[in-house]
Amino acid sequence: MATANPMTRMLTPEDLLTDRSLRTRWRIGFDRAVGWVLPLLFGVAILPILAVVYYVGSRALPTLTVTVLTSTSLTAGVDVLGVPIICTFEIMAVATLLAVALGLFGGIATAEFLPDRLAGWIRTTANMLAGTPSVVMGYFGYFTFVLYFGWGLSLISGAFTLAFFMTPYVFRTADLAFTSVPRHVREAAYGSGAGPLQYILRIGSRIALPQILTGVFLAMAIGVGETAPIVLTTAAATIVPHSLFSPATFLTALIFANYGSSLGAGYVNVAFQAAFILIVVVMLLNVLVRIVSARYQKKLEGLYL
Amino acid sequence: MSGAPVPPAASVLSVQHLSVLAKDRPILSGVSLDFAGRSLTAVVGPSGCGKTTFIRSLNRMVELTPGLRVEGTVLYVGQDIYDPHVNPVLVRRRIGMVFQRPTVFPMSVFENAAFGLRLVHESEEEIDKAVSEALRRSGLWDEVKDDLDRSALSLSGGQQQRLCIARALAVRPRVLLLDEPTSALDPAATQRVEATMQRLKEEIVLVLVTHNVGQAARVSDRVAFLHSGRLVEVGPTADILERPRDPLTVQFITGRFE
Repeated sequence: MATANPMTRMLTPEDLLTDRSLRTRWRIGFDRAVGWVLPLLFGVAILPILAVVYYVGSRALPTLTVTVLTSTSLTAGVDVLGVPIICTFEIMAVATLLAVALGLFGGIATAEFLPDRLAGWIRTTANMLAGTPSVVMGYFGYFTFVLYFGWGLSLISGAFTLAFFMTPYVFRTADLAFTSVPRHVREAAYGSGAGPLQYILRIGSRIALPQILTGVFLAMAIGVGETAPIVLTTAAATIVPHSLFSPATFLTALIFANYGSSLGAGYVNVAFQAAFILIVVVMLLNVLVRIVSARYQKKLEGLYL
Repeated sequence: MSGAPVPPAASVLSVQHLSVLAKDRPILSGVSLDFAGRSLTAVVGPSGCGKTTFIRSLNRMVELTPGLRVEGTVLYVGQDIYDPHVNPVLVRRRIGMVFQRPTVFPMSVFENAAFGLRLVHESEEEIDKAVSEALRRSGLWDEVKDDLDRSALSLSGGQQQRLCIARALAVRPRVLLLDEPTSALDPAATQRVEATMQRLKEEIVLVLVTHNVGQAARVSDRVAFLHSGRLVEVGPTADILERPRDPLTVQFITGRFE
């Protein structure tokens, strides 16, 4: 019967579903190789990260005690991290507040209100600001806040300088979050009698918020790891600052000041401890970014139905 | 149901010599059409004939598309909605709109329906009342009354569209514009939305844009046929669909466009 099937009798070489040509075999081999090489390259890429975590952890953890983390008194012979931790916390709080305020308002204005051409210029400027070397930013902060404003080497000078460094990251995500609200959602809000401000406060912000939060966490992760803007604008304080205008310090500044001594024997590994805390904080912030943006994805799926 | 009484003969919405231009290319040229009392007018025509632009120009939604210029007048109970002193936000509260795509907001069913009322800071009591009334009028009440706090995103497409209708109705507009409200829905959901439209046309002015002649035949009192931005023919549904006078209309309803 099979031979009687007219289709079978008309088979031509083009109907063959396998071919053993050199080109095809080479292509399949290449595909397989890529499947091996890419994971290998990934391993090579994360090796430095693992090495840093391991090395810093192994140097920091044996001497890292609760006393080191919390004590602010400099008893002879023991370096403690209380002051830099408190200073970092305070500088980050002020800087984040400022960066969120500037970035959020700038982002919303650019996304919703400004004419396209001006918005384009502002986006370019923000990208340039984000690309500015941090030491230049520190220099700018030193001249502007420390000298011109007369705030001296202080907590607030450091926080403002850091805020300018962090603002573009908040700005970019806020701008993107509001511009990427689906057009039909915007129209539905306007069609229901909402004005521009009501749309932003009641609908736009609700949809944009998770993305903005990821921007804020990202900005914080970047800010907490900066060194130059802080070293140039805060004094290396050894006591807890009692006002915004008091000298302050920062965990990264501590590493910068102590990395030489910590390599020598007999010194307490204060730089390693600070580095370890920073790594943990930055990793936590990155995990937060992942969690929040995953939830954001879920939310938008419903809207793009 | 539809606010203060209007003299029965006066038209609620009167479109006079309306043109919409993109740069200098007309999308709509010199359309004049009156909408009176309680009725459902279906605006039909082939793709690109300007029917969506037409309906969007009835509550100034057209202004959200950059680069379009509107000429002519649209009178809402005697007031030109394009008058520079008129607030477009107020226009859209009196002339509601439902879009092609069901677009609920990422909040509860209740809050979706209450959206327009919250904008004008109604009292909680009034909001409760208006929301249940709007959900009943849109025909969604029986399906959601037991759990008004569930997320609106969990509703089916057809339910979402009726929630959009309820959201528009909650502020008690006198006119409701429906821009192909069933084109994203399955037949069963379409049928329910059509039933809702049939009930609502006894209460307010409905303007329905549809590319579906069958739908126009089922729900409308009057059909307006647009072609290349011009109003070719308008009249009672039976007249237009069964005895069209213009050859373009004949071509359209016999399916020779699109």
